[in-house]
Amino acid sequence: MAELLDFFQLALVKATPLIFAALAGVICERSGILNIALEGGLTVGAFTGAAVSFETGNPLLGLIAGMLAGALLCGLLGVAATRFGVDQIVAGIGLNMLAAGATAFAVVVLFGAPGATPEVHALGSAGETALIAVAVVAALALQLGFDRTPWGLRLRACGENPQAVLSAGLDPRRIRVLATLAGGAIAGLGGVFLSLGELDLYSDGMTAGRGFIALAAVIFGRWTPLGAAGAALAFGALSALQFVLQRSGVPSELMQALPYLAALAALTGIVGKARAPAADGVSL
Amino acid sequence: MVETAGAALEAIGIVKRFGTLVAVDGVDLELARGEIHALCGENGAGKSTLARILAGALAPSAGRVASDGPVGLVHQHFELVDRLRVWENVVLGREPRRGLRLDAAAARERVRSLAREYALDVDPDAVVESLPVGIAQRVEILRELAREPSTLVLDEPTAVLAPREIDALFATLRSLAARGAAIMVITHKLQEVISHANRVTVMRGGRVVLRAATAETSLDAIARAMVGGDVPALATRRAVTPHAAFAARDLRAGDGAHALRGASFEVRGGEIVGIAGVEGNGQSALCDAIAGVVPYAGEMTLDGEPLRGNPGARTAAGVRTIPQDRQREALVLPWSIARNVALGDHTRPPLRRGWSLDRQACDALATEIVRRFDVRAASIRTSVAALSGGNQQKVVVGRALAHEPRVVIAYQPTRGIDVGAASLVQSRLIEARNAGAAVLLVSFELDELLAVADRILVLYRGAIAGEFAREGFDRARIGALMAGAA
Amino acid sequence: MSRRNAAIFAAVLLAIAAGAMALAGANPLAGFAALLRGALGGERQLSETLVQTTALLFPSLAVAFAFRAGLFNIGAEGQLIVGGLFAGLAGAALVAPGWIAIPVILLAGAAGGAFWGGIAGALRARFGGNEVIATLMLNIVAALLANYLVVGPFHAPAATGPETAELPVSSWLPVLIPGTRLTISLLLALALAGALSFMFARTVFGYALQAAGEAPQAAARAGIDLRRTALVALTLSGAIAGFGGATLVAGVLHRFNVALSPGYGFIAIAVALVGGLDPLWIVLAAFAFGILQSGSLTMQALAHVPKDVVGFVEGLAILGLSARRIANPREESA
Repeated sequence: MAELLDFFQLALVKATPLIFAALAGVICERSGILNIALEGGLTVGAFTGAAVSFETGNPLLGLIAGMLAGALLCGLLGVAATRFGVDQIVAGIGLNMLAAGATAFAVVVLFGAPGATPEVHALGSAGETALIAVAVVAALALQLGFDRTPWGLRLRACGENPQAVLSAGLDPRRIRVLATLAGGAIAGLGGVFLSLGELDLYSDGMTAGRGFIALAAVIFGRWTPLGAAGAALAFGALSALQFVLQRSGVPSELMQALPYLAALAALTGIVGKARAPAADGVSL
Repeated sequence: MVETAGAALEAIGIVKRFGTLVAVDGVDLELARGEIHALCGENGAGKSTLARILAGALAPSAGRVASDGPVGLVHQHFELVDRLRVWENVVLGREPRRGLRLDAAAARERVRSLAREYALDVDPDAVVESLPVGIAQRVEILRELAREPSTLVLDEPTAVLAPREIDALFATLRSLAARGAAIMVITHKLQEVISHANRVTVMRGGRVVLRAATAETSLDAIARAMVGGDVPALATRRAVTPHAAFAARDLRAGDGAHALRGASFEVRGGEIVGIAGVEGNGQSALCDAIAGVVPYAGEMTLDGEPLRGNPGARTAAGVRTIPQDRQREALVLPWSIARNVALGDHTRPPLRRGWSLDRQACDALATEIVRRFDVRAASIRTSVAALSGGNQQKVVVGRALAHEPRVVIAYQPTRGIDVGAASLVQSRLIEARNAGAAVLLVSFELDELLAVADRILVLYRGAIAGEFAREGFDRARIGALMAGAA
Repeated sequence: MSRRNAAIFAAVLLAIAAGAMALAGANPLAGFAALLRGALGGERQLSETLVQTTALLFPSLAVAFAFRAGLFNIGAEGQLIVGGLFAGLAGAALVAPGWIAIPVILLAGAAGGAFWGGIAGALRARFGGNEVIATLMLNIVAALLANYLVVGPFHAPAATGPETAELPVSSWLPVLIPGTRLTISLLLALALAGALSFMFARTVFGYALQAAGEAPQAAARAGIDLRRTALVALTLSGAIAGFGGATLVAGVLHRFNVALSPGYGFIAIAVALVGGLDPLWIVLAAFAFGILQSGSLTMQALAHVPKDVVGFVEGLAILGLSARRIANPREESA
C-alpha cells in the first residue's frame, strides 16, 4: 500500500511539468497557434528560474522570472505568427534551438562551467507540493474558463475561424498573442518545477523532450484542458513506472522510452479521432 | 454625421489601394433610409471592397464614410464559427455576463427575441455546421441585427439560396427597410435587382458607371454598364446526335446533409447535361464520386464498360474534371502555366517521356491553351499565382478540354470570373459538346444552365428530383423542384 | 527572399552573434577571426571543415527532400543514428574485401535510416499521424535504442566506451587527402545533391512529389496518391540521413558510438532552410555551416567564446527563415 502511494506521488511529480506544458499547448492551439516551442518554454523557464534563484537567493523570484521567460519565448512565436505570418512549425523549431543554445551559452557565461548550474535555493518539498496542486487546479480552472467565460468563447472562436472573430469586432491577432503569452508563462512554470521543484539546479537538456510529449498529450486529450492534463498524468505515470521496474531486469532504456512510445501510439488514433481546431497553425 | 437629410449612409470620394492595384477609384454613394439599394458589377469591379469600407471593416486610402448608426455586413462566405452554437455566434464580442461568467441563458433569450422580432426562425442551441445554408445565413443576419444597425449591407446573399428562400429573404429585407433601415444588396443577378431594389448603382473598374432608379432603367442597360459593352455571344450549338457515353446507377456518396443519395442518370456524348440545384444538395459528392476522389456506392459506366479506379485511372480513361476551387483543387499556384498544364497527365505520354517530363510537349500544350483560351499572361513561364481569377480558370478549363476528353465534369466553371471569361468558357464547353464529349455541368446559376444545357436534371437532397429537355425548360417549375416541391 | 533582405538578415545575425560574444566577455572580432582561422586556416583545417560539410550535407538533403513533399522530417538525427548503428553492426560483422564490404555497409545505413523514417511515414500514411511529433519522438527512441544496444548486446569487448567493434581497415572509406579525415563521402554527397536536383527539376517522380507538397488537393485529383507519397518521401528521406550516418561510421569514426552526431540532424534543418530547399544551394549552405561547426571549437579554445553561441544563432536563423512558406496547411487527425 505504501508502495502504491509512493508510486502515485512519483507519478504526480513526473506528470506536473507535463501538465503545465500540455495546458500551455492547449491554450495556444485552441487560439490557432500550433506551438512546437513548448520544449523551449520549459527550457528557458527552468534555466531562468534557477539562475534568478541563484542570483537573488529567492526561489519565488526565480519562479516569477521563469514564467516571464517562458512567456517571452512563446510570445515571440505569437508575434511572429500574427504579424509576420510565418510557418508556425518552422518558427517553433527555431525557437527550440534558440532556447537550447541560449541557455547553454548562458550557463557557461554566468556560471563559468558548461553543463549545469550549481545547486540553487529551491522551493523545497512544500513548494513542490504546492506547484503540483497548482497544476491540478489550473487544469480545472482552464476548463471552466474555456466553457463558461466570454474570453474562453472568444479564444475558441479564434482557433476555429479568426475571420468570424474579426467580423464580430474583435482582434484575433491580439487574442492569439495573449494566448501565447499566457501559455508560455504556464510552460515556463513547468520548467521552474523541473529546476526548482523536483530538483535544485538546472542542467543542459534536463527537459528531455517533455515539451514534445506534452504535444502528444494535447492530441490525446482532444485539445481540452482536462483531457490534456489527464493524458499528461498518464504519461507521468508511465515515467514513474520506469523507476518501479528498474530492478526487474527490464532494460532501463526501454523504460525511459515508454512515454515516447506511448506518444507514438497516440498518433495512431487509438484513443479515437478528434479534430484539431480548424484554424490551428493557419497564420492570418 | 450624415449631411443629407434622410440618408442613413454617405460615402464621399472613397479610394482604396492595395499596393499598386486601385480597387476603388473615387466612389460617392448615398443610401437613403427605407430603401433597398442594389450594387452591381463584375468580379473585380470593387464591390466587396467597397462594402467592407462602408461597414467599417476596412479603412479607405482616401475619402470618408458618414453613417447614421452602426453598419452591419453579411458576407458572401459566412463568417460564422461552424463548431459553435447559434447563440455563441450571435453574441460573440457582445456577450451577456454574470460576474465573470458567460450568461448563456440571457444569450439564448436574446437570440429568441431577435428571431421573433425579425421573423427569422432559428434554434439557438443548434451547432452552426449542422444547419442548412439558408438557415446559417439567418444566423449571420441575426448577428448583424443584434447590433441594431441603421444600414445593413449584404454581399451576394442569394448565391446559396433556392428561389423560395430568396423570396423569403427579400421579404425580410423589405420589412427591415420599412422600419427605417437602409439596405444595400450586392448582387450580379440582374433579375433580382429589377424585381426587388429601389435604386441601383453599377461599378466597373473601381468606379461608378451608372446610377438609376430601377423603375427607370432596364436589365440590358445594367448589363451593358457592368460589362462596358455588349456581352460576347455564345458559340453555336450544332445539331448533334447524342451517343451513349456515361451512365450512373444508384450512385451514393458522402454523408450527412450534403450526401448523394442514389442518383441514376446518363450523360450522352454530344450533349450538355446541366445539374440544377441549390448548393449543398449533393453536387460536390456527385462530382467527387465521378472523378474518383471519394469512396462511393453504386455503378458507373463509360461507353458500356464499368468505370472504376482512382482519379489517375479515370483521367487516363478520358474523364476530365473542372473542380470547384481552382486555387486549391486544380492548380499548383507557385508553378508556371507550362508546369501546371501537365498535372493529371504527367504519368503518360505525350507529356511523359521515360522518367522525365517532356518539356517541349508541355510548352507546346501550354502555348496552345493560352492561344485558344485567350489567357492573358506574360508568358507560359509566368506563375499561375500572378494571373487573375478568370485567367486561372481558363488555364484549368483549357487543360481539362485538351486531350479530347470523353466526359467533362464542370463544377461551377464560371464562378467568380468576369463576364467575358465566363462566356468564353461556356463557348469552349459547347464546342467540346459539339465534338462529341459528354459534358456534365453543375451550376448554381439557373440562367447559365438555361442558356447552355441540352437537358437539365434537378438535384435536391442528394437525389434527382426532375428532368427537363431543352424544349421543355420551365424556369418556374425547375425553381420549385430546386426548393423541394413535389 | 530577395538579395537585399538576405543581406540584411545575415547582417542582423552577425550583429547578434557579436553581441553574444561580447556578453561572454570575449572580443567579437577575435571570436570571428578565431572561427575563420579554425575553419579555413590551413589544409588540415579546410579538410576538417569539409568533413563537417559532408556530415551536414546528407541530413540536410534528407530534410529538404521531405520538405519539398510537404512533410516535416524533424527526425533526421534519429534516422542518422539508426543508419549509423546498422552500418556499424554490419561493418563489424562482415568479413569481405573492401569493394564488397563498403557498399554493403553504406546500404545498411540507408536501410536503417529508411526503416526509421518509414515508421513515421507509415504513421502518417496509415493513420494521418502528425509526422512532426512522430519524428521527434523517434529521435529520442533512437538514442535510447542505440544506447542500449552498444552498452549491452553489441558492445565491443575491447572497447572502453559505448561503441561497437572497430571496422576492419579494408572497410574504411578511402581518404581523399592523405593525413586527413576527408573521405570519398564528400563526393558521394555532392553526387546525391546533383541527382536530387535533377530529380526535382525533370523527373515525373519529382513532379508528383512537389505537387503533393505544394497543392495536396490538386495533386490528389491529378491521380497522385498522397498517402503513398508521404510514406515514400519519409522513407527515402530517412534513407538519405541513414546513408549519411553510415558515412560517419565508415569514414570518420570507423565504428559506431553514441556520440556519432553532435546534432547534425537538427542543424540540417537550418541548412535546408538557408539553402532554400534547393539541393545545389544546400551544398553551399552546408559549407557555411561546416565552417561554423569546425571553427567553433577553435573559437572556444582561442577566443573563449562558448561554442553554444553557434546553436543560438542557428536557432535565430531558422526563426528568421520561417517567414518562407514551407508547406500548405494540411488536413490532419490525431
